[in-house]
Order: sequence, then structure tokens, then C-alpha cells
Amino acid sequence: MPPLPDPNSVFLNVPYDKEFIGLYVAYIVGLCQLNLVPHLASEIPGGDRRLDKIFKLIRSCRYSIHDLSRVEVDVTTATVPRFNMPLELGMTITWQTLHPSRHSWFVLESEPYRLQRSASDLNGTDPNIHNGYAEGVLRELCNIFRRSGVPSVPRMTEVYRFVHGNLDAILYRHGTTNPYDRSVFVELCWLSKTLADLIRMTKPAI
Amino acid sequence: MPKSVYITARRPTLEEMEKSLRIPTARKKELQVLVDKFKDQLSRREETPATAIRPEKRRKRASAA
Repeated sequence: MPPLPDPNSVFLNVPYDKEFIGLYVAYIVGLCQLNLVPHLASEIPGGDRRLDKIFKLIRSCRYSIHDLSRVEVDVTTATVPRFNMPLELGMTITWQTLHPSRHSWFVLESEPYRLQRSASDLNGTDPNIHNGYAEGVLRELCNIFRRSGVPSVPRMTEVYRFVHGNLDAILYRHGTTNPYDRSVFVELCWLSKTLADLIRMTKPAI
Repeated sequence: MPKSVYITARRPTLEEMEKSLRIPTARKKELQVLVDKFKDQLSRREETPATAIRPEKRRKRASAA
């Protein structure tokens, strides 16, 4: 029997592209505000095969979030559909089917009813629709993960704006333009968690 | 799959999260600058309540009356 997963850990299955950066930061900030610990495939060091690393991470997490909002074909460059997110979702569904009490997964989309066309086998699964906005991501995370003492969406948005506004400074210090790098991801998590703890201690303005 | 979950697990502390994410201490010190900046932003917001009316708006209201 595999070891029990960390009850606060969430595997984040998101596209690693430039257009998604805002929503990526929103996921990190939102999960940290909910006192959850986000995990990304890029954070695991070592020379294992990428797929093995991802599966290992899925098994160690209690929850997973699969954002299928960017499964469309990119018409500006090569017309290759994006299969990574659905592939990782498939691995998760298999794991959850084998061990139902150890994992729960959630699908997020930006457009309602599109999932019925892009992955019709998931019919019967209601995706959470974030409408492609950071506030939408924060709202849907609050809808998915219910927990006592959680700040309101406007308060979460306040932290999101601050973290997103300082992203360039973090990237600059790492000498990279890639916010999905392990070191940048880890710093975003630490900063979001610290600010979440801080904002919890102050009285709300809204 | 459930549409939502109610989490009853104990909240992780910052130290536990640091351990899980393996963040170097030097980085934390550098990030502290941003934390202080946010603290400053929060304290300034507390000094100016959201319900406060800006002076120019107050003057306009007074002249209209």
C-alpha cells in the first residue's frame, strides 16, 4: 500500500506558457490563501523520466487541479494540439480509481460546455469555470476547497495583485524569464503563504 | 468526482511548507523585502479607511449643498 498523501497538498496541472502566467500566479496565491500547498511537476529534481516524476507527484498529493482552458491549437506557431494536461488528468483518474480515498481531482475550464466537446469522455464531470480571469480562479478555488477561516475573494485578489505586480523582480533576481522554473515557483509559494498569514492577522477593508 | 471538498486537516505552518518546498534560507531573506513592502501597503490602507471621502469630493459636496 502506498504511503498516505499530505492532506494539504495539491498537484497543479497547468500549461506552462506565457499567456497563462496570470492564472498560474492566481492558482499559487489562491491555494496558499486556502492553506494548501501547491506542487508543480517542474519542482522535482532528479534524473527520472518526466512522466515518472509527474506520477510520483500525483501519488503524493491529496488533491489535483487540472486546468484544461488552453487545450486549443496554437495557430500562431506550429499547429500542434496540447496533450500534456489531458495526459496528466488521465494518469490522475487512473490513480484515483485505484485509490478513491486517497485522491480527489478537479477540472477547471475558461469556457462553459467546451469540455463536452474537447473531452467528451468526461461528460458527467462538471468543470469549474474561471472565465479566464485571475479573480475567477480565486473564486473557483474557494468553491472547490471549503475551509473555515478563509479570506474573502477580494482579499485574495489584493494579495494576487501584489504578487503578480512583483513577479518581474523575482524573475530578475533569478536571471530568468520563466516563472515556471522550480526556484521561481518555490519563491512564489513562500511569498504567497507569508502574505496569506499576514493578511489573516489584519482586519479586512472590504 | 465531488464538486467541492470540505477540508478538516490541520493547516500547515509556514515552517512545514518551507520544508515541503525546500526553499533556501538566503532566498527567504531576500523575499522579506517584498513582505515588508506589503506590510507597508497594508498599514497605509488601515490608516485610510475605505469609507473615507476624499477632501476634494467633500468640498464638491459642500458647495453643491
